[in-house]
Amino acid sequence: MNNEYAISVNNVGKTYRSRDGQDNTVLKGLDFHVKPGQFVSIVGQSGSGKTTLLKTISGLQEPTEGEILVKGRPIRDGIEDIAMVFQSPVLLPWRNNIDNVLLPLEFRGTRTDESRRYAQELLEMVGLGGKAKHYSYELSGGMQQRVAICRALVSRPELLLMDEPFGALDAMTRDSMNFEIQRIWQTTGCSVLFVTHSISEAVWLGDRVVVVGDRPGRIVADIAIDFPRPRGKEHRFSTAFSDYTTEIESHIGVVTGIS
Amino acid sequence: MASPEVSEVGSDGLRQSPPEAALGGPAIPKSKMFSRDSIVVGAKAVAGIVGLFVVWQLVVIIFSPPEYLAVGPISAFDELIKRPDYFASNTWVTLQEALAGFALGTALGILCGAVLHYSPTVRSFLYPALIAIDTIPKVALAPLFIVWFGFGFESKAFVAMAIAFFPLVINTYDGLSSVPHELQELARINKASPWKKMTKIDFIYAIPSIFSGAKISISLAVGGAVVGEFIAGSKGLGYVILLANSQVDLPSMFAAFIVLAAIALALFFIVDFAGRKLVPWKNHAK
Repeated sequence: MNNEYAISVNNVGKTYRSRDGQDNTVLKGLDFHVKPGQFVSIVGQSGSGKTTLLKTISGLQEPTEGEILVKGRPIRDGIEDIAMVFQSPVLLPWRNNIDNVLLPLEFRGTRTDESRRYAQELLEMVGLGGKAKHYSYELSGGMQQRVAICRALVSRPELLLMDEPFGALDAMTRDSMNFEIQRIWQTTGCSVLFVTHSISEAVWLGDRVVVVGDRPGRIVADIAIDFPRPRGKEHRFSTAFSDYTTEIESHIGVVTGIS
Repeated sequence: MASPEVSEVGSDGLRQSPPEAALGGPAIPKSKMFSRDSIVVGAKAVAGIVGLFVVWQLVVIIFSPPEYLAVGPISAFDELIKRPDYFASNTWVTLQEALAGFALGTALGILCGAVLHYSPTVRSFLYPALIAIDTIPKVALAPLFIVWFGFGFESKAFVAMAIAFFPLVINTYDGLSSVPHELQELARINKASPWKKMTKIDFIYAIPSIFSGAKISISLAVGGAVVGEFIAGSKGLGYVILLANSQVDLPSMFAAFIVLAAIALALFFIVDFAGRKLVPWKNHAK
């Protein structure tokens, strides 16, 4: 097996059998590989199976065809170093922020005295060092999502799965979160699979953009984004940037009113 | 509330309950027992109850019904003052029956609700049956409990339990089922043991819902105890009412109503208060 990839998705398919016996194929023949430390954006229309893909990679669901290898090992072996960020932060309202961040370690039973210091470091990295003892109801949506990102990072994952993490945020917060996640990713060096609806977000963040077509979900394009890091605002307004987004739009088949 | 899960979860909630201490500032409105707001709320509630008594007394004065039909609150309170030991001892009996029934019903209800949630197999067999049993008026079960458990304390406590049980089953089940799926997935990705998932997420999430059920159950339990006493009692407030009925002693009857309402109200607020203490985060919900 090839160990040089952080994730290998080999010909993965997922078919649900509905109660009336009809097969509903959500994913078909997905085949792609992610190098360690790579940031891969996944775009596609709603219902194209992007979330199913992430859940399959995280081991929450099993593929009905093909296999997924994380660092060359089948995911069923129990992968320790995957973490997930959801669209909604779902922080526990009875825990303060730092205790929310520590939750995965308590689940794993690996919380130590050192963990708290690391959780504090993570909160400081996302600019919430002073809010460790605050509760989620005191934070804005963007801040809550940053805490949720810290919660994902606390187990020092090598692979971070993000399922439309900024989908519920307003446009301005979303922009600043994009800068934030680029910085976090560059600091931690983990591989990221980033599912989004936003093509510009996908292009700006990704080393690659994987375009998933719908019914059934399959890869229709895999485009390398050739911008230097760290990326700034200027890239978003360059001609190359709009060329990328136009190309991706053509693959998805979006009709846009505004370019 | 004898369930081990709840006390475990409860102490966890309490440990983390004072957010203002951790915040180092008074910015967060805390659910104090006697804040200015709660004094106003309390004053309004008391005014409402006093107003009810005033209206009641006025109606009795204006229409002046014969004493075998209705009496005013003054006669009822007068009766209470005349025979304090009689009412106190009978109240104590009813209170014990209601509390025992409530405790048992709560413990069993939480257990049952949890089993329904965690075992789909049991749920598919038991849930329809439970709903069916729930449609039987629990009052109708009282004679059966008397056959089974005799004329004493136990049969009344069991009637109270039978009534208190169902709201807790439903609310525990609903509360556990309302845990967001993201949290379930978070637990699974991090390979949390079932026990850790239950104690760190599920049961704490369900506390508000469980307390909603308990608030319904506590008043029902008092009613259940009284019904038991109606059918086979030689003491308790239900017996006081029956005896007063046979003697056309309406002041005693109304006095018993007042005491019943008072203990149901007091118990309700105790449960409500305990719920607020255990669920401080609910007060800040957006």
